[in-house]
Amino acid sequence: MERRRFIKKILEWATSILGGALLAYPAFSFMTFRRVNEKKIVFPRDEQGGRVNFKEGVYLVHESNDMFALSARCPHLGCTLNYDTVSQSFKCPCHGSAFTLAGRRVEGPARKDMARVPLQKLTSGDVEALLRTG
Amino acid sequence: MSAPGKMSNRISIYLPRLGLSALVLCIASGIVLVFIYRPMGNVFQNVEAITTRIPYGWFFRQLHYGSGQVFVILMLLHTLDHFVRKRYRMYPLKEWVSLVTSLVLCFLTLFTGFVLKGDQEGVFAGRIFMNILNAIPFAGETVARLFIIPGNGFFFLPYLYHCFFLPLLIMYLMRAHIREWFPDRRFMMIGALGLFVYALFVKPAVDIPLEASLPEVQGPWFFLGIQTLLRWIPPVLAGLIIPGLFVACLLVLPALGGPSAPTADCGIRNGCRAVETGLYYLLMAAIGVYALLTLWAAISQARLTP
Repeated sequence: MERRRFIKKILEWATSILGGALLAYPAFSFMTFRRVNEKKIVFPRDEQGGRVNFKEGVYLVHESNDMFALSARCPHLGCTLNYDTVSQSFKCPCHGSAFTLAGRRVEGPARKDMARVPLQKLTSGDVEALLRTG
Repeated sequence: MSAPGKMSNRISIYLPRLGLSALVLCIASGIVLVFIYRPMGNVFQNVEAITTRIPYGWFFRQLHYGSGQVFVILMLLHTLDHFVRKRYRMYPLKEWVSLVTSLVLCFLTLFTGFVLKGDQEGVFAGRIFMNILNAIPFAGETVARLFIIPGNGFFFLPYLYHCFFLPLLIMYLMRAHIREWFPDRRFMMIGALGLFVYALFVKPAVDIPLEASLPEVQGPWFFLGIQTLLRWIPPVLAGLIIPGLFVACLLVLPALGGPSAPTADCGIRNGCRAVETGLYYLLMAAIGVYALLTLWAAISQARLTP
């Protein structure tokens, strides 16, 4: 009798856990669904003049005949990096990480360099950066 | 009873009652704000409109902010009062766990409110929170998406937590502890008077536009210590493990020295008491260190402010 009750209890528990998981899994998948969005940021000709240009979370940098785009998000915890014209470096206002003009980490808690953003030159002379969000 | 004893008992009575009046005002002003506040689109502009253009918006925003802060600060002092005087020993473990958890959720409610300002400080705080969760090994990104998502819906989940999930959960956890939900009329009058004067005469802090370039951006006052730690140690350790361990140590105290502790007069009981004393002083030291870290961050910010 004892054993029968024990098995019954185990079966009840197993059914509850299985039923709960069957319901929880689709709910969890739904709630945490991820869609990667891409945002196109266009730098028209007249906005490419400076050595460092900023627009909507992207830095467009000219360095020794090279042009590239960097994400302005700090790779540490995501604050927007400021460009310091005096030291010609990027600095995080939240936790103090610093990066060179090429986006390489110099100091602070960040462990990675600034992320490069793919850049495309349009026939009009405008430049388009493709930023991934989400 | 000695005069200091009477005084501290009086404080123990006043703190929660004044806190409850602040909570009533906080909920009431929140209900007013919810009619105009929108967590989608340009949230910064919406908050600026509430503060500068919509009639009495500045008053209700300041009343909501002030009453929320006062409620959580008084609840923190109330808990500290119980902790310092070892009055957690009066509580069954389950009740103490519910109450400490509700205090942690109160801080999360303040934090989501800070994010919902929609200015640079709020957005950065939200991103930092999201990236700390993202840094959890294996399940980080999935867990983060339960609280905050990047992109157009950035403010929506914090809004849902701030206005709905967290207040309901806090009230559910505190339901057995609060004897009367509507505070005594005298405390309500004092609380309302003080907070109305605050909302009328203290202007809301200047909100920083998202595109502003400031040398240092700070989070809410209660997270300044964590913000300082984040400069030196990895995000998961500074933002989750250390605060989590602190709360866990606080939670188990009644199990070591309260009614839930072993009753038999044996080695286990003495061992539990010794662990309780050790944890008590460890927590005291942690509170002191955290206060110093907070002070240090506040001073460094004050130095940078022109």
